[in-house]
Amino acid sequence: MFSLYKKELQSYYYSPFAYVIAALFLVLFSFEFINGISNMEGTMYKFSFPNIFHNNFFFFIFLIPALTMRTFADERKTGTEVLLMTSPLNVFQIVIAKFLAVSTVFLMMITLTLFFPLITLAAGEVVWSSLICGYLGFFLWGLVCIAVGMLMSSFTDSPIIAAILGEGAVILLIFIDNFKDSALFDNLPKAAKVIGWFSTQSRFVSFSQGIFKLSDLVFFITATVLFLGWNIISIEKRRWSRG
Amino acid sequence: MIEIRNLTKFYGHNAAVKNVSFNVNDNEILGFLGPNGAGKSSTMNIITGYLPSTSGTVLINGVDIAENPAAAKKQIGYLPEIPPVYQDMKVKEYLKFAAGIKGIKKRDRNAQVEDVMQKLQIKDMEKRLIRNLSKGYKQRVGFAQALLGNPPILILDEPTVGLDPAQVIEVRNLITSLKKDHTIILSSHILQEIQAICDKVVIISHGEIRAIDTIKNLEDSMGEGIVLHLTADGPREAVSYLIENTSGVLKIEDITYVKSNCYTYHIKIDNEDVKKELMSSLIKNDFEISDVSSSKPSLEEVFVRLTSKPAAKKSLNELLEEMDNNPDFNEEER
Repeated sequence: MFSLYKKELQSYYYSPFAYVIAALFLVLFSFEFINGISNMEGTMYKFSFPNIFHNNFFFFIFLIPALTMRTFADERKTGTEVLLMTSPLNVFQIVIAKFLAVSTVFLMMITLTLFFPLITLAAGEVVWSSLICGYLGFFLWGLVCIAVGMLMSSFTDSPIIAAILGEGAVILLIFIDNFKDSALFDNLPKAAKVIGWFSTQSRFVSFSQGIFKLSDLVFFITATVLFLGWNIISIEKRRWSRG
Repeated sequence: MIEIRNLTKFYGHNAAVKNVSFNVNDNEILGFLGPNGAGKSSTMNIITGYLPSTSGTVLINGVDIAENPAAAKKQIGYLPEIPPVYQDMKVKEYLKFAAGIKGIKKRDRNAQVEDVMQKLQIKDMEKRLIRNLSKGYKQRVGFAQALLGNPPILILDEPTVGLDPAQVIEVRNLITSLKKDHTIILSSHILQEIQAICDKVVIISHGEIRAIDTIKNLEDSMGEGIVLHLTADGPREAVSYLIENTSGVLKIEDITYVKSNCYTYHIKIDNEDVKKELMSSLIKNDFEISDVSSSKPSLEEVFVRLTSKPAAKKSLNELLEEMDNNPDFNEEER
């Protein structure tokens, strides 16, 4: 299993792919950072990392599916899936190895952004509680997106379609709150409440404000596990029905 | 030892493999022959555990591939139709990775990889990106991958496709040398190849087994009709009358014109003895024989004959019987 993890991780760095995504992410992050600084006003000279995190939350819509689109779609397209499936590894191990590899790439990406708090620390003060919670929430949200993106990649054998499906799914996850608040559910408070359970944005907001709630942690982890489980089922199902 | 029992595979409503059963003994090379779309690759994919079967069992040295896939897969080396290579990896790196996922211990990996590279003669390509290799080399890298871990069973789906003639011979020799301690299933379109290296042949068409036998037996059993090509002078009717009335002659398949009053008769006969009798009776009747030769159907003809047989039933009664016995038919009827 470690061999597969290692290979997957390396495969991101064979091509400029992971570098491009990481660079794009850093550019976007730094725009938000500059934005935060230039909007400082009043006597306090404060800007909030939580805000930056919250804005970056939306960039995952296209960044993460771009990372995950190839995980299964490409294997199927090039015929290398056979190698994995006829090795003594089982589907569970394959999915976990791939998930860990993408997560590692993602972790490297957000580790690079530590640069910004360091600059801030050099020139001022950092509120540690909100920064750490922000990073934790950010990481957990990323894991959910990765699990979703991988699931979408297992549905198709075209990476492009996988990316588009992934983007759609992440958009749905983010804006599920807005459905709840729409006029459609005005007369259906119960339905609105049920939809509210799946709201990712509100949970992320509490993380980004430096509030650590166990329920939020459990939510993100459950969502990740759920999508990974679905991923395993989807691959097994494809084995049974493919032609 | 590979045991395949009543293997059936449906893709939706289409049966790709229908009730296929055969055994492959240890140290045997089994040739898997069939036209395109006959179900060869499907069967191989099921044997290796890539696809599950709809029904039936595959036992790899007594281990059921569906029930204990990890243990069964460890014993199999598989070279699929398209070599499963990563374009962005280097040859050696790829083989090391493959050794890793096959569960070969870390300290043995290097030696194993070197060994298979030696066997397939890709040592001088070890630092090249697979993307830049020719089709033949990719095929060999895929083959090397199948040999990693020295699995007792090798499943090779068209191993010589895309190789140049010299390489084809090398790979054939390699397969023959692997026979010593491996059980091999090999599929191919190339009949000479099967003829050259296989001990046993399974001919499959439309998902059904048409024949399982040694090549010699197959040719012999199909050789009921030795065809005699006999060129004789004389009026066509008289000669063919004489031929038809010789005992042991099955039928005159064809008569071709050579020149005026001289024809070549293509005669299907029972056995070689008939030839002598036929010739002496022709000579006795003053017909001059200018040429005579006989031919046995080659594996090629056997193959064509077996696979071109329509899958349809011979009579209406048999068809009705089939429909009664087959639940799928009934379902569709309703």
